Amino acid sequence: MQWTHWQRYIFAFVITATIFGIAFFIAGRIDQGRVADIRAMQDAIAIDLLSTETQFELLGNLDCELLGERPVLTEELAVLAERLAYTESNLGSNNAQVTLLKKQYSLLQIKDYLLMQEITRKCGGTPVFVLYFYSNKGDCTECGRAGEVLTYLRQEYPALRVYSFDYHLDLGALQTLITLRKVRGEDVPAFIINNRAPVYGFKNVEEMEVLIPELATLATSTAQTSETE
Amino acid sequence: MDIGALGIYFCLFMGLYFEVFLLISFLEQRPHKKTASRPRYYPTVAILVPCWNKEKTLAATVHSLLALQYPKKKLSIVIIDDGSTDGTLAAAEEFANHPQVKIFSKQNEGSKYSALNFGLARTQSELVGCLDADSFVAPDALIEVVKKFESAPDIMAVTPAMRVHQPRNFFELMQAVEYVFGIFYRKMFDNLKAITVLPGPFSTYRREVFTKIGGFRYAHHTEDMEMAFRMHKNGLRIANAHTAVVSTKVPSSLGSLVRQRVRWSRGFLENSRDYSFMFFNPRYGNLGLMALPFGLIAFGMGLYVAGYMLYSLVTTLFTKALSLWTTGVPLQVAAPHFELFYIDTSMLTFLVAIVIGLTLVAVLIGGRIAQTKLSASSLVLYFACFGFVAPLWLGRAVWDMALARETGWLT
Repeated sequence: MQWTHWQRYIFAFVITATIFGIAFFIAGRIDQGRVADIRAMQDAIAIDLLSTETQFELLGNLDCELLGERPVLTEELAVLAERLAYTESNLGSNNAQVTLLKKQYSLLQIKDYLLMQEITRKCGGTPVFVLYFYSNKGDCTECGRAGEVLTYLRQEYPALRVYSFDYHLDLGALQTLITLRKVRGEDVPAFIINNRAPVYGFKNVEEMEVLIPELATLATSTAQTSETE
Repeated sequence: MDIGALGIYFCLFMGLYFEVFLLISFLEQRPHKKTASRPRYYPTVAILVPCWNKEKTLAATVHSLLALQYPKKKLSIVIIDDGSTDGTLAAAEEFANHPQVKIFSKQNEGSKYSALNFGLARTQSELVGCLDADSFVAPDALIEVVKKFESAPDIMAVTPAMRVHQPRNFFELMQAVEYVFGIFYRKMFDNLKAITVLPGPFSTYRREVFTKIGGFRYAHHTEDMEMAFRMHKNGLRIANAHTAVVSTKVPSSLGSLVRQRVRWSRGFLENSRDYSFMFFNPRYGNLGLMALPFGLIAFGMGLYVAGYMLYSLVTTLFTKALSLWTTGVPLQVAAPHFELFYIDTSMLTFLVAIVIGLTLVAVLIGGRIAQTKLSASSLVLYFACFGFVAPLWLGRAVWDMALARETGWLT
């Protein structure tokens, strides 16, 4: 009789553990789907970048208007960044797939940044670039809030190009960029605005607007909405 | 994953384990349907109705007892006015000329057990039932109880299926679901021979229970729980007659609900301490190995989950407020934006959904067992709100116990 008790306890335990296992498996499969979704987005952006680069090489600076039709990947990169951040919060910063996606994303950003620099040099214009370096190793308590400020500014000024990089990401191209720009890891958050010297520490919206006077030349999202209307 | 979240997973595992365990018990032994059969023998029955300030409901309670389908000569109703300060005694006197009704009045001694013992001493019947003066029995309830006693000679006490009487407001509707869930798990505990309480509404005993183990005790104002514990200690079997339906009025305000549940919760903690030798003791079967330990674990888990949720909420709000204040980013109230990518599909979400789903299954089974229908609003209120109000009495019970604060028989 006593054995029946234990049998029932063990059977219930096995079923419960199985349910946990199934929940773990399904959640994992869905996360894999998300990773695949991000990867597909990155592939699409990579193709777009390559296309723009090729277009640029074919035309040189002969037809900046044509280049201007599809040079801007800001929106796609912003959506990708948002999805990547969400996936990172779910799977954790140390997840190998997340790290790989972040490396690919960082490369795309660097390529987009270099291409946009080149286009600006040859075609003119007054774009505003912000390179933002953060750390999520627990050594930067202000990085989260710094990110919020930049997200808000990007919403307010759709033409503002913000490129965010995980300082500690083990990626050759990124580390080269860090070395070239002389960014100090121990002082992140760090901002490089329009190729000027790095600025360190958290800055609120007001302080950022002072640091980026070029923002005045950019249309705000409210102005754009009004024009559309 | 932080330690706090790990604790939540542990709670989910335990909750799920308990539900799976009960469902296995259900599949092993499904409750039978009500039949039209009659008992072979009608024992004499005395129903004790202890009442303290129940002038509004006493008459309806007694009328429901008088309407019981049972030989009149074999059934007596004993009303014990426990020193009421309202018109309870006058309401009882309305039945003074009824041959089945006996009315007594005594001084209140601060707890219900004394009124029950007072009535018990004035009866000689073979079965003794108890009925709170705000509960109403179905006409065939007593017959179903007697049939249950007849089904096995070793059954010494029988509990009914309890449901909420005419639930109307927020708190009553919420409790309606809780009581139906209770019908399910009480029946499953019956299968496991592990019923932990003999509730005031219509629990019925063989007289020999009292001759063997004595009458009711103070038991921290939960004499019904202590009696069940003591019966198990002495090897006296308790069964559940799920076809014997009794409706009971429940607290209709947050204050009265919390007071009632603090008494129950604290009673459980104090009686658990008094009968701690039963915990994890294989001698007491499923009661010692499952029902009692899990009751205590569930108590702790309820407090832990509530504490963790409160901590998370406060931390999130504080962080958001700090962020708004320091970043200078204006508060943006955006319309909800649906995107498939961002639907929460974490393991935690699935597990919570499974626990809620299995609870719903248990509630539906409970409703079927006692042929009780629940409104959709009841179900929504229960699943959306019960988890937020229950920690109020769990926390208060622990607090009162820690301070050894004395509370009265309030509800």
